[in-house]
Amino acid sequence: MAFLIRTITITADGREIIRDRRVEKPQISVGRAAERDIHLQDLAVEPDHARIEQIDERRVLVRSVGTLGFTVDGKVSGRSEIDAAVGAEIGLGGHRITVGREGDAVTLTIKREAAVSDAVGEKDEAEIFSLKGKLLGKRPVAWALAVLILVLLLAVPMVTFALRPAPDNPKLASHVVGDKAWSPGKLSTAHHALEGNCEACHVKAFQSVRDESCKACHADAHDHAPATRIAGARETPGLGGLLLQGVAHAFGKPGPGACVDCHREHEGEGAMPPTPQKFCADCHGTLKDRLTDTKLGDASDFSDAHPEFRPLVAVKPGVPGGHPTFERISLADKPQDLNGLKFPHGLHLSATNGVAKMARTLQVEQGYGDALVCKDCHTPTADGVRFQPVDMEKDCQSCHSLAFDQIGGTFRTLRHGKPDQVEAELRAFYRTTDPVAPMELGGATRRRPGLYAQGQVYNAFFGAGVVRPARAEDAIAKAFSPKGVCGECHVVAPPGTNGARGWQVAPVHQTARFFESGWFSHEAHKTEKCESCHNAPRSAKASDLLLPDLKSCRTCHGGEGSKAKVATGCALCHNYHIDDGAPWLVTRKVAQAGSDRGRQRP
Amino acid sequence: MATQSTRRVQTGRQERQAQLHDGFLRYGGYRWLRISGGLCGFVILSYMLVDITPRHNGGSWYGYTLGTIGVGLILWLTALGIRKRTMTPGAWSLKAWTSAHVYLGLSLIVIGTLHTGFQLGWNVHTLAWALMMLVILSGIFGIAVYAALPNALSTNRDEMTETQMLDALRAMDRQIHDAAQPLPQAMAEVVQSSLEQDAFGGSAWNRLTGLYPGCATARALAKVRETTGPQADFGNDPLEKVDTLLERKQAMLTRLRRHLRLRAMLEVWLYIHVPATIALLAALLAHIVSVFFYW
Repeated sequence: MAFLIRTITITADGREIIRDRRVEKPQISVGRAAERDIHLQDLAVEPDHARIEQIDERRVLVRSVGTLGFTVDGKVSGRSEIDAAVGAEIGLGGHRITVGREGDAVTLTIKREAAVSDAVGEKDEAEIFSLKGKLLGKRPVAWALAVLILVLLLAVPMVTFALRPAPDNPKLASHVVGDKAWSPGKLSTAHHALEGNCEACHVKAFQSVRDESCKACHADAHDHAPATRIAGARETPGLGGLLLQGVAHAFGKPGPGACVDCHREHEGEGAMPPTPQKFCADCHGTLKDRLTDTKLGDASDFSDAHPEFRPLVAVKPGVPGGHPTFERISLADKPQDLNGLKFPHGLHLSATNGVAKMARTLQVEQGYGDALVCKDCHTPTADGVRFQPVDMEKDCQSCHSLAFDQIGGTFRTLRHGKPDQVEAELRAFYRTTDPVAPMELGGATRRRPGLYAQGQVYNAFFGAGVVRPARAEDAIAKAFSPKGVCGECHVVAPPGTNGARGWQVAPVHQTARFFESGWFSHEAHKTEKCESCHNAPRSAKASDLLLPDLKSCRTCHGGEGSKAKVATGCALCHNYHIDDGAPWLVTRKVAQAGSDRGRQRP
Repeated sequence: MATQSTRRVQTGRQERQAQLHDGFLRYGGYRWLRISGGLCGFVILSYMLVDITPRHNGGSWYGYTLGTIGVGLILWLTALGIRKRTMTPGAWSLKAWTSAHVYLGLSLIVIGTLHTGFQLGWNVHTLAWALMMLVILSGIFGIAVYAALPNALSTNRDEMTETQMLDALRAMDRQIHDAAQPLPQAMAEVVQSSLEQDAFGGSAWNRLTGLYPGCATARALAKVRETTGPQADFGNDPLEKVDTLLERKQAMLTRLRRHLRLRAMLEVWLYIHVPATIALLAALLAHIVSVFFYW
């Protein structure tokens, strides 16, 4: 019974050195301690690790002595029988002991498999010092990110756009996936419902939003001017503008003058920003250079490039039965508004004259102050924008009475606005009433017959009674005379003028809106006094046009971006899509103020 | 005279040396810094002077101009990845190219950002901008470490090559292995754990921070110290030798790890710079196509 212990060591240059040693013992010890029969320099091996003993000629028993076991053909074990003729491999720490048989001896071939330490093992110096393998590789990450971005942010929206069903209604829900990531900014409040439904406006790929898309909903938008006029009015763009136009046309962008040129979307939540004055100034700044026949003055900034206002005034008063002639005249030419009235504003607003005295007399009854003020006669419209026409019955008659007779406590008045009725009333009055009876005719005193004689009281009374109906003509003529009850305010034509039978009064025109193209709201200016804009106290004639001029407005208003108290773009007073209503900016402000007030309420 | 000519020769030599060591940052007397600075100044000035309504944005003629310049620059800057593989001297040298890459890349902060008109959001357009900024910022980090770290790297190496470092570690391990042979098993296992641990293991985080909380050598040394600390060293305890060797290995590891940390810093920015560049190219394509797709 013997063991043949064969130790294989490998030199630095890779050669194997084999040493054989025969041990004539039935049992040998294995361990790290130097005195072991098999001495393994291996820290993973216990000083006294295991025993190997021969059971018979073929079989050996391997058992561990300490707490650490070993492996037999890779299987962990603490005790194992091995047929040496068949052979096996015992693993102990970093060593392998191959059991075999050679002649009568059991061979134990020992070889160190594991390196002494990790560092001693093989290392690729080019790699271990770098970060390679410690992080995801640059190439795979780059490819993964690129593919991810191209698929999710480009391919998916494009493919789903191409495959979407034909829209029955552009407002219906979106079928395109992932195109939200393409939106450069939120839509304005007005278009909020279309958020995420990009193809409602972006109908065709690589084609910018067309006017047709806008008009699908905004069918009632007024055109600014005929297309040919607009085309002729537009200024030739600069180098930058030409470049942009070139690019725009190359990619099939519509315009100039397309809806989207002014109405920019994707500028963020909230109301769409008002169109800046530059969009107007592009044409209107130098409009006369291109549209030589235009009646409009050039305008590009309210502060310093805006023509004087041209209100609509009556240049020729209306004749009875006809209308006045109107014309727009610049305030610079000091136009007169021949409205058909004779009305001195100054007289009525004086604090010292008879009018003021009358006002004080009627103070309690009519609610006047110590003198008349504007609001005593002028009543604003319900929206506060303009004023209702002055009404004779309501606004004048408290002083300018048309009463001509009193029956009991009731006054009979002439009918305003009906000259023929006035004539008829006066005639009827003189026909049906007696002259005033003299005092002597009263009482029960008996009178002598001589009183009927010429120059006596009866003669005078009855004589007057006979001619009384004819006195009506005098009264009528007096009423219509320049100092009469009608003629003091109205321009009057005597009978026979233009073939008319009776007296005629020229029509009165009270202009409700002088500025046809601009918007002005008194409501927005109610913090101001009337007199700060309208010089009424110094006006002596009804035809004085009491409108403030451009200079007067400029005391508060300046152009967009100016330092004036109120920086004013074109859009504050003017509408691009011209109609009679307030400009969009004003309606928006009013709506906002309304909703703010609503919010403040508990 | 002689002194003067010597001085002149010396000055000439210094100049030549300065030229030889002229890095890409100082190339051509900061030529590309001046060009890039001028470009940025011009762009900022024109941004302020050009009146775009309603406000600056990428879709105005000015925005398109900046965008086109930006794309051109990005494509050219990316080409450094190809260009760097061929080293050539001269005006079109790799150094000149790299210098231009750095300074023109920095100018993209201005050009790209003004192209956005400061309209940023959660969309593909801002993604492209954000990736561009990420690429630039990682590039700035790269330049900062290139400027600062090689010195520290060299000081730390103390004239040792990486191979020498590895060999020193191996020698240390072998000595520890031999010295630990007489130790009882419990202690042997502790020492073995130090030998078994890969000094080059650990995550990228460990490398970049230089912190290795799971260091087996530190643990082994502490364990050994528990015994050797309180007792007197008479030179006959094998554990004392192991103690000394482990301490030396620990010092060796500290230097190695500092080296690995510096190298990691020099490399890590490229792991962001390069993939982010490729991602940027993809985002840029998506940005441009989407803008004209939904125009």
